[in-house]
Order: sequence, then C-alpha cells, then structure tokens
Amino acid sequence: MKVSINIPAKLVAIVTLAYSVLFIYAAIQKLIEVEQFRIQLGQSPILTTYADYIMYALPLGELVLGFTIFSHKFKRQVLYVSYSLMVMFTTYIILILNFSDYIPCSCGGVLEKLGWTEHIVFNLVFIIIAIIGLWCLDYMDTNKQSIIL
Amino acid sequence: MRVKSFIWRLLGFGVAGILLMVLLFVTSEQEMHHNNAFIRRYPHHPIKKLFDFNLGYNSYYLAGFENDRLYLGNHTAPLHLLEVNLKTKDTTHIKIGLESKDIPFQSITVNVVPPYFFVMDGTVPCILRGYTRDWEARDWMKGEVYFTNAKAVDSVSIFIKTISSSNRQAILGLLQYSNGFNTYLYPELLEKQMDGIFDVDGLLTMSPDFKSLGYSYYYRNEFMILDADLKSIQRMKTIDTVSMAQITLSKISKTGEVKMTSPPLIINRTAAQFDAFMLIHSNRLGKYEQSEMLEDAFIIDVYNWEKERYEFSFYLYHFDTGKLKELKVFESYLVALSGEKLSVNQIKSSVFK
Repeated sequence: MKVSINIPAKLVAIVTLAYSVLFIYAAIQKLIEVEQFRIQLGQSPILTTYADYIMYALPLGELVLGFTIFSHKFKRQVLYVSYSLMVMFTTYIILILNFSDYIPCSCGGVLEKLGWTEHIVFNLVFIIIAIIGLWCLDYMDTNKQSIIL
Repeated sequence: MRVKSFIWRLLGFGVAGILLMVLLFVTSEQEMHHNNAFIRRYPHHPIKKLFDFNLGYNSYYLAGFENDRLYLGNHTAPLHLLEVNLKTKDTTHIKIGLESKDIPFQSITVNVVPPYFFVMDGTVPCILRGYTRDWEARDWMKGEVYFTNAKAVDSVSIFIKTISSSNRQAILGLLQYSNGFNTYLYPELLEKQMDGIFDVDGLLTMSPDFKSLGYSYYYRNEFMILDADLKSIQRMKTIDTVSMAQITLSKISKTGEVKMTSPPLIINRTAAQFDAFMLIHSNRLGKYEQSEMLEDAFIIDVYNWEKERYEFSFYLYHFDTGKLKELKVFESYLVALSGEKLSVNQIKSSVFK
C-alpha cells in the first residue's frame, strides 16, 4: 500500500520535471532568436496574421507554465493547460500538413530538427505523460482522502 | 465516477485546444487573403526557370506571342521585330513593311494580336494594321485620337490611355472601328487624387486571350480589371498599405508644364495579367521579410481578381543587371525582361489554380 502511494508521487515528479524542462528550454530558445522566430511565424501558413502577438505570448506563457508547474497549489491547473497546449501544437501540425496553402520548411522554435511525423509522436508522448501526471494527482487525492477517512 | 469525470475533463481541455487552434487558423487565413496588411507568403517553386536569353540590346520590349513564338519589338529600331521560339530557342529577324513611308513617327510600338499586328504611334497619331503572315502594315487609323499608351484588343478595337482635351486629365478609353472610327472615353475609370495625370499614372495590361483588360496604378496600392468593352469594372487593393499617391509636383510653369519634383514612391512597378490572375512586381518589403532578398530577386505578388484575394508571392531571381522592365504570361510561359536579357520560366499550374 505504501509503495503504491509512492509510485504516483514519483511519476508526478517526473512529469513535472519533463514539462518544466521542455517549456523553459523552448521559451529561451525562442527568446534568444526572437527575430528569427518572428520571421518563421510570419512565414508560417497558419498563424501569419497573429505572429506579432504569438512571438511574445508563447515564450512568456511557456516560462510561466515551466515555473508554476512546481507549485503544489497550481500543479493540477498547469498540467491541464499544458495538456491543452500540446493538443494545440499537434493540431497546428495536422492543420499545416493537411489544410494550409503550403508546407513550410521548418516549424520554428522548438526542436527544429524533428520531421513532421516525429514532431507529432513527440507531442503525443507529452500529451500521454500529462494524462499520466493528472491521473496520478487524482489517484493521490483519493488515497489521501481514504487515509484521512 | 471519478474515472468518468477525469475523462470528461481531458476531453474538454483537448477539444478546447483543438477548437482554439482551428479558430486562430481560420481567422488568420481570412485576414491573410482578404484584408492583408502587407504580409507576403512564399510557397515553394511556383515557377521553374527554363532559360535566359541574351538579346544583346536593352531596347527590346514584349510585342506579342503566337504558337510558342514570342515577338519582341525594339524602341531604337522600331520596324524591326525579333521572334524567339520558346521551345527551340530559334530566332528570326522580322522587318516590318509600311504602306505609307512619309508618316512623321516619333514613338512607335508594335503590338501582335494574332493573326494581326498593329504599328501604333499616339503622337502622330496613327495606327497601321497588317497580318503576321507577311508583316506588311497597311494604313488603318490616322488623326482620330492622340494617345499616350495603347494595347490592341482585337482586329478592330484598341484599349487606349489619352489626355482629355477639355480638362487635361488622363482617361482610359476604346478606339473602335465599325463603318468608321469611334472613340469611347470613360473618365470615371481613373480616380484622381492630385492632378489627374501623374497620380493616376499606371500600366495598361491585357490577358493573353485578350478577354480582359487591366490597369495597375504606379503610385497607389490598387489595380482594376475591365472587360473588353470597358463596361464592367472591378477595383482591387494590393497588400501594400500606400493608398494615396506619394508624389510631389511642381507648380504649372509658363509653358504649361508640370514636373515631379522628387522621385515618386512606386508601389506597383510592372504587372502581368492571365486567367483570373494579376501579377504585380513591387520592391517594397512587407512584414517579416528580409531586405537582403531585394538584392537577389524581384518580388512578384499574385492576386486572383475573380476570388478577390491575394494568393501568394514569389521571387524572380535577377537574371541581368537593372530593373524588371516587363513581365508577361503566355500560355504556361512567364517571360520577363531586364537589362539585355529575356528570362523564360514555366508556370506551375498546380500552384496557380
């Protein structure tokens, strides 16, 4: 019984760390080459007209998420938002591959060297670990309650 | 119970993410194609270079096209035509014969509208007409109307730009022959912003099937498409943001002359029309563009006037020193003139759809 409480807690810690590293890395990457990122967004066939807002909103949002995910109070909310964000990124790639006027050379920002399929797989992995993390949080809550009861 | 609500929450956040992304995409695309604030889009390879051809002189202009054969006129040798076969690259020199030898020509342009060709000089004014099978130009119009630019539409009608004798304003019109010549002028087509001559200046364009005509203003972000009778008109804005001509004009001198006192800001440099497309060359940079590109290539913007939207842009890489003088599309060929060279490119029909 004791072990089964520990495993979810460890899983949550791993998920937290993974997301935090991903977001902070991606945000810094974008901010360092912000002009490059702006041009890539402007040439992206999907969010073209929002490029000016997204160029700042996205890295700042990622930084906020990357840090607040460590907070016990907001961990659950941050994980839900992160999960949503990963779904959005995946949708973005699917839209580019299927519905956009043309397919750009690079998607810019994070992990440029990945191909489109690898990118989707990468995103799916993160979506899955977010679900695992959220499930573990729920599991720990119910267990805590049953212990208290 | 807990599992159920957990799955519902996951679905909720997932669907919200998808919907938000799709919404951003749809609204962004709408803006991009219909209310574009100067953001260009460059899809890969809409044209393929076939070859460059050295003409040896910089005085050539595009006169027309018939069955793979491109005709080039020459401003300094006005009765000489160069025929370039775009398939075989063979060239033929053509000498145009004139019926009247004593016309005081000043600036001749030759225009080929198969099976006819026209020799036009709006300063005389006169137009001679002949068949491309023998290149003998016979007297056709003389003294009817002066014009500054002209493009033949068919065997009996000429799209002209002229200066009104009553108010000295530039006007578009048609010169037509049926039991005698008639000139139809449409003063409402060119919209005056300053003096009605310089500010409305622009380029007459013609689709290669001669079914639709066009006019692209040099100094503002606008062009228009007209039918062959100049009856129906469609005005369209380009993605550029300059809507008022930015030119400065001198006061009228004693001789009645007005001059531009500073270099004008040119928005639409040259244009070409084909099918439902208007191609416009501009060297003004949009948002998110690198200025270094201007040193390597001409930027061409593609509009679809039937759908009233900006489609995309592409680079036509420099093929000689100097500006892009002319651009035209014939069948699937995109031909361009710069310096002493002719550039021949293939249009990808999968991109231009």
